Amino acid sequence: MTCKNKFVNTPTKTESSVDMPVKRGRRAPLELVLGLGLTAVLFSLVAISGWLFPDEGMGMDLSARLLAPFHSWRHVLGTDPLGRDVLARVLVGGQVSLLVGFTSVIGASVLGVIVGVIAGYYRGYWETFLMRCADVQLALPFILIAITFISILGGGLFNIIFFMIISQWVQYARLVRGLTLTLREREFVLAVKAIGLGDLLIIWRHLLPHVKSPIIVLMTLNIANNILLESSLTFLGLGVDPMIPSWGGMLADGRNYLQSAWWVSVFPGLAIMLCVLGLNLLGDWLRDKSDPTTEH
Amino acid sequence: MYQIKNFVAATLIALGLAVTPAGYAAGTLSIAASAGDPGSWDPIDTFLVTWGGVGSQIYDGLTMRTADMKLVPGLATSWEMLDNDTRIRFKLRQNVKFHNGEPFYAQAVKFTFDRLLGSEGAKGPQQSNYNAIKEVKVIDPYTVDFILSRPDPVLLTKLAGYGAMLVPPKYVTEKGDEYFNSHPVGTGPFKFVDYKPKVSLTLERNGDYWDGAPKLDGIVYRFIAEPATQVAELQAGRLDIATAIPLSMLDVIAKDPKLTTASINGPTTLALRFNTKEGITKDPSVRRALTMAVDRDTIIKQMLGGNAEAVASFQGKLSFGYDPALKPLPYDPAEAKKLLKAAGIKPGATVQIDFRGTDTNFREVAQAISGYLQAVGVKATLKPYETSVLLNDIIPNGKTGEMWQNQWGGWTFDYDNTAYAMYHSGQKWNPYDKDAALDKMLDAQRDTYDQKARERILREVAKYVADQSLEMPLYSLNTVYGINKRVQNLTLPADGRFRFVSESIQ
Amino acid sequence: MQALFVVLVVTLLVSWAVRLTGDPSLMLAQGAGSVTEQDLANIRAHLGLNRPFSEQYIGFVNGLLHGDFGKSFIGATPVVILIRDALPATLSLTCCALLLSLILSIPLGIQAAVNKGGWSDQLIRIFSLIGLSFPNFWLAIMLVLLFAIVIPVFPPSGLDGPLSIVLPTVTMGIILTATNVRLVRTSMLETLSAQYIMVARSKGLRESVVLYKHALRNCAIPLITFIGLQFGSLIGGIVVVEKVFNWPGMGTLAFDAIAARDYPVLQATVTVLALLIVTVNFLVDIAYGFVDPRVRTR
Repeated sequence: MTCKNKFVNTPTKTESSVDMPVKRGRRAPLELVLGLGLTAVLFSLVAISGWLFPDEGMGMDLSARLLAPFHSWRHVLGTDPLGRDVLARVLVGGQVSLLVGFTSVIGASVLGVIVGVIAGYYRGYWETFLMRCADVQLALPFILIAITFISILGGGLFNIIFFMIISQWVQYARLVRGLTLTLREREFVLAVKAIGLGDLLIIWRHLLPHVKSPIIVLMTLNIANNILLESSLTFLGLGVDPMIPSWGGMLADGRNYLQSAWWVSVFPGLAIMLCVLGLNLLGDWLRDKSDPTTEH
Repeated sequence: MYQIKNFVAATLIALGLAVTPAGYAAGTLSIAASAGDPGSWDPIDTFLVTWGGVGSQIYDGLTMRTADMKLVPGLATSWEMLDNDTRIRFKLRQNVKFHNGEPFYAQAVKFTFDRLLGSEGAKGPQQSNYNAIKEVKVIDPYTVDFILSRPDPVLLTKLAGYGAMLVPPKYVTEKGDEYFNSHPVGTGPFKFVDYKPKVSLTLERNGDYWDGAPKLDGIVYRFIAEPATQVAELQAGRLDIATAIPLSMLDVIAKDPKLTTASINGPTTLALRFNTKEGITKDPSVRRALTMAVDRDTIIKQMLGGNAEAVASFQGKLSFGYDPALKPLPYDPAEAKKLLKAAGIKPGATVQIDFRGTDTNFREVAQAISGYLQAVGVKATLKPYETSVLLNDIIPNGKTGEMWQNQWGGWTFDYDNTAYAMYHSGQKWNPYDKDAALDKMLDAQRDTYDQKARERILREVAKYVADQSLEMPLYSLNTVYGINKRVQNLTLPADGRFRFVSESIQ
Repeated sequence: MQALFVVLVVTLLVSWAVRLTGDPSLMLAQGAGSVTEQDLANIRAHLGLNRPFSEQYIGFVNGLLHGDFGKSFIGATPVVILIRDALPATLSLTCCALLLSLILSIPLGIQAAVNKGGWSDQLIRIFSLIGLSFPNFWLAIMLVLLFAIVIPVFPPSGLDGPLSIVLPTVTMGIILTATNVRLVRTSMLETLSAQYIMVARSKGLRESVVLYKHALRNCAIPLITFIGLQFGSLIGGIVVVEKVFNWPGMGTLAFDAIAARDYPVLQATVTVLALLIVTVNFLVDIAYGFVDPRVRTR
């Protein structure tokens, strides 16, 4: 639900921005620092989690269930309903969540960019067909597709990522198509075409660099959204293997303990929040940097 | 257009502008129905557990079951077996009226069962439960005969609920089935008032009830599927009885001064059924080993808070056919490792456990089981499935992993119902096994009315299954309720089919 | 119209996909002691499931055109009644959430844009980012915990009375607002640096007039465009919120239908929702093409 899917290019006012350069400079670094800082710290913690916690947060101890946090060094953040260490699971859980977030977005963007470029550049039947596919896709409430899809194929990591890819390529395709349509009529493209440069080369060297920025922004924002989406799917009972820690899974599983053992779901929730915050800050900074009003 | 007007009205109502907020009248009990809205209140249409609880308020059967599962007369005051047990003669209760004033007598019984066994009943799942009845004959206005095509020792119990509940002939014929579905009329202690699909069902007291009018003014059933939401409503004082609470929230409820919990023996049993065709579970000694690797008692104590009991077969204590002498396999990981080694299973062997993804309680149990298996060197992966996919596709078509969550709530409390469906060859719940010896035993106990013989055979069945280790019996789960203390005199039936005759609200 | 074609394809896809997921007759026969193949066949025949798929689908579409949505597999309730009850619930929730987000995001976005770089801008941006970082079901559960249990003001679930729409609206509204604030801010920043704003200011017009009369009008269009586009994903996310709040809307209806393999209800629900989304998208496309002629498709 939290898909900020339509990255709408607001109408450009190129004349005004040439005359009136907007004050940027000072504010941006704070965003960058915070965003980069948060994500870097989180990512590196997650990366070394396997080394820090060799049992990967799966060490069960039914006699140590639901211990409160901040009471012992062994379980700094407490234990969950199966006696597993929360800190370990939060850090290791980042692996799954980040994996889901990144691969799904990379997959969707690659697919979407390819489709969008083909549609925008070649137009004609390709465009109509691909864009109709996109329309059909958009008309389906995606959670319902998720449920139907996952109920056919079962849950699990691969299926979830696959589903996210096939339901999100549309955003990139639409965006890229729009940009391609605009760009292909620009002088430099026509000029290069007149020279006789092959299509692929034109696309690769002249079109893609321009779509790069908005795509990257969209990607950063979608990684965050997909991490949230994974947790919603687990809430609905369709997620990954519950033994494998994932932020979303812990959040969904811990929701019944909010009143009795708040730490079971609050800490993974915090992790999600910090990660998403960091990514969004990063995305914001990138977007500000690549503002269409300053594009060459 | 009519539709548009309705739509607008519905929108206004939805915005609460046209209706007063739900303030429950002082004498009205509100109870949550968790298993979903059955959609139809006609006895022959339904398959949902929810219906059972509601049905007992609106309808009566020829027989009835008390809270401690004893069979007593209902709309039939007595019965006797005739003609070598192929005929049951029921003497009917006099001076009973349906809610719409229609009088109850033998014709109603004949109508009900003709309908159940005929084309109308064929559309629904209830008919197959009552196939043993060939014909119903009216002898006189207060006597009927049931002619049986084959013996059915559980029939009398089955007449107490679900498809066999009695419906008014004139009303149903006049108004038609579709109208009857959403405007039910029966002889029970409560009358139908209002039904909002997927939201609520409202009933009011039947002052003329033959067994004495209930004390409550009315009952409201609210369809709340999400257990956490039920608890929230309970805590907010808007729900009197919550029927599906996550065990993890029991403490929270207990701490609330206006609430209390009740945990009683229920019909639900859980086991992990083994795939005897593929994977390392092909080997019976491996299956034994896996069972012994899991500390079921600790799971019950720690994770279920003691709200369950260990079982040795796929039935609970109250089930007919239960053998107290049959003990579950002990928790012995050392022995399990030995057996695994002897069977040639190397550490790191994998199994997959399929389970219902939406079952929050079992999610945790499954993880615990996985942890125990890990301790003996077997790596278990858990695969969550949507419940209907698991039950409709994965299990019947034999697509499961090495183990799957098997959960059964036999409302008849008779092992026959469970065992036949689980172990007889050709049954949907039994995709992998085909055991002629077992089949013979299961068929044998269905054919006789001799309860002693049946019990003996059923115990043999249980022992056979245990010897073959066809499953890892886990526990029989208590039915746990969250209750607002203002409800007085609550009798809690083990099968969840409340009958609110003696309850009142403070 | 091609929009209708899209809807048709959608319904075809869903009808086909859902039939891959197992046999509903088995699901419906669960109450029985031991089900024979004959029983299942009976049930299937009664539900019309033994006809070939094309026949079932055409029957469905045919029914649609006559206003007959068929009967639910569960209890044979006419689907029209189910939808008639559920649709207003979902629409009212959606509209209230959108309204709330507009009421909050426009002033906040403007404030952030005007105050760019200042502390109120930073604060608003941080809060909007935080608002985006919650999974919606978690937010819902927290709100219920705080405002229905700890401080029992609102009902924790269900639809009865005007108070009950507050918590679900706030849940969805917070996330929507977070998104929209950023958009408003960006558009305002764009607009405020435009020439005609300088002109208006130099004419000596009061700042509020400049803001609300001139600048806002200009970014209203992209805002509306964006909101219209959001509508689709809004409907998607509503399933989770409806589930937590037991809100008897289209989301719950569809989810339960999938779980129970209740084809008629599912097909009808998806059709109605698809029609809704397609209509909104269509209107948005027109507006979009209006705004930026370069991207017009025809």
